Amino acid sequence: MTAAIETEALGKRYRTKWALAGCTLFIPAGHVVGLVGPNGAGKTTLLNLATGELAPTTGTIEVLGNRPAAGPAQLARVGYLAQDAPLYAGLPVADHLRLGAHLNPGWDADLAHRRVERLDLDPKQKAGTLSGGQRAQLALTLAVAKRPELLVLDEPVASLDPLARREFLQDLMESVAEQEVSVVLSSHLISDLERACDYVIVLVDSRVRVAGPVDDLLAAHHLLSGPRRDPASLPAGMEVVSASHTDVQTTLLVRTSGPVLDPAWTVSEVGLEDLMLAYMKQPATRRHHLEVLK
Amino acid sequence: MMWLTWRQFRAQAITAAAALAAFAIVLVLTESRMASMYDSSGLLTCHGGACSGLATTFLVQLSSGQGVSFIPFGANVYVIVYFLSVLVILVAPAITGIFWGAPLIARELETGTFRLTWNQSITRTRWLTVKLALIGLAAMAVTEAFSLLQAWWAAPIGKAVGLGGGASIFSEGRFGWFVFPTHGITPLGYAAFAFALGVTAGLIIRRPIPAMAATLAIFAAFQAIVPLWIRPNLFPTSQTTATIAASGANVSLGANPALTLTASIVPGQPGAWIISSEGVNAAGQRVSTIPAACQSAISDGLGSHRGTTVGPDPVALNNCVARHGIRVAEGYQPASHYWPLQLAETGFYLALALALAWYCFWRLNRRRS
Repeated sequence: MTAAIETEALGKRYRTKWALAGCTLFIPAGHVVGLVGPNGAGKTTLLNLATGELAPTTGTIEVLGNRPAAGPAQLARVGYLAQDAPLYAGLPVADHLRLGAHLNPGWDADLAHRRVERLDLDPKQKAGTLSGGQRAQLALTLAVAKRPELLVLDEPVASLDPLARREFLQDLMESVAEQEVSVVLSSHLISDLERACDYVIVLVDSRVRVAGPVDDLLAAHHLLSGPRRDPASLPAGMEVVSASHTDVQTTLLVRTSGPVLDPAWTVSEVGLEDLMLAYMKQPATRRHHLEVLK
Repeated sequence: MMWLTWRQFRAQAITAAAALAAFAIVLVLTESRMASMYDSSGLLTCHGGACSGLATTFLVQLSSGQGVSFIPFGANVYVIVYFLSVLVILVAPAITGIFWGAPLIARELETGTFRLTWNQSITRTRWLTVKLALIGLAAMAVTEAFSLLQAWWAAPIGKAVGLGGGASIFSEGRFGWFVFPTHGITPLGYAAFAFALGVTAGLIIRRPIPAMAATLAIFAAFQAIVPLWIRPNLFPTSQTTATIAASGANVSLGANPALTLTASIVPGQPGAWIISSEGVNAAGQRVSTIPAACQSAISDGLGSHRGTTVGPDPVALNNCVARHGIRVAEGYQPASHYWPLQLAETGFYLALALALAWYCFWRLNRRRS
């Protein structure tokens, strides 16, 4: 299986602050990957490392098997929609398409024009006067029409209203289905990703907290509730992601490869949103503590 | 990439073309009259010593507005056009450096559009190469076009000065502060440097307006430092010693009784650039004070104006100093050094521009490592 993005102990430091540390990832190609995490978790840093805007401080990163932005050929394989969808405010829509056509040998003019028509964008309208949703759509058109193998989107819907957000994601999914392109999409809004992604990475405090296909993650996590007890008494192979206690009851979110056999627990499935929230809330120190316990 | 460069540069290119056209129109409208004045000045047919007198007459006529009907703001049109055109050529590199160079990268960084462009299928090196080459060459071409137009317009003035015309505000030689940097090939060097400086400042500062300010400040500093300290020393100066009369020197009274001499002629070297002049005695040693006898003459001269600040009689002072055997030691660049100096100064600025461009390429790619 080829990797869309593969990193090894990847780290990026800005002066004294580590924006990303010890990040080892293997993101297989052919997925729509959601990169989730609170603001400032290092999502943009990871994506900027993947597009070659930044160079790593430590470790390595390979995108589609090559050094990011190594040359025109590598640049052609990766489409990037940056945060806030930067466009030339003074240039009309048509000139943005012309820009794409001139700068990309693999430019799909038909696709670009079909999209602009379908989105009802006026080719003569200047990009600076477009609405947030239209801007994002035009920027996505540029990224998609260069026919990349990997599409990287940094917070593409953050500034959109709920309706535009839904339309954008729907449109993105249609493009992905048509083109068989791998997608890495970052967001701090989990509900957006739930609809779109089949693979998630949770990034918190500049570290990868959990990563994997959505189905596998859902299958491996269980919500346990039962009489109050110490989570440390769980059998080996069960990792506690989050725990809450009342006077008489304990509720645990655990990750385990096997079934839960202890009859004292009531086992229920967990939704993707709850799962990701549990990982995002988990304090960084707790993780180390658990690893020691294991 | 050429298309994008042109598309983003189109408005500035049109502005520059309009400025160039306006400049050309003003010069063309005023040129014919000046050319006919030159034709009727007798300078075309003069021989030997007669020429310098005729040339002076022509220049005085130009600068005083004799026979010129249009005299706005108390100055005549030739004086205004001459100095305005010189000013345009001097500031054109700064303008292109500020408005074309500084925003080139800084605006992309400020608005975030670098993320759009640098993620198309084109390397940053290629992007910068095309931008620097096309817009940099345009900046050089525009500045040089201003210079060539002005040189064509001012040709009669240059010829009259070359024939020995003096005593007018036009009588600066080819090495003059306003003439040297606005003619020949030096404008090319200034334009290239100012543009590269603007681009570099924008890349380092990352915001257009502060980058523009930095570009202006640094370019202005270079334009002050180079003529004062670098241009005179690009080649070793030639030395000669002449009498006060032959050197056309004026003796002036520095902080009393310091002797200050300002030569205006290098005997046998017409058109030379005089860089230094100082008093020397018969033995060739430097004389830095006015001889005592001349000091008393000054005091006597001042005596009759007691209580006022009237200076000494310059002719009497000149003669007195000359009588005491003081000659003028002159350091100069001969007229034949004009083109070597032009080449050297232009080369100096082009080398700076290339170094800055190289730095931009390096820095733009560094973050990618």
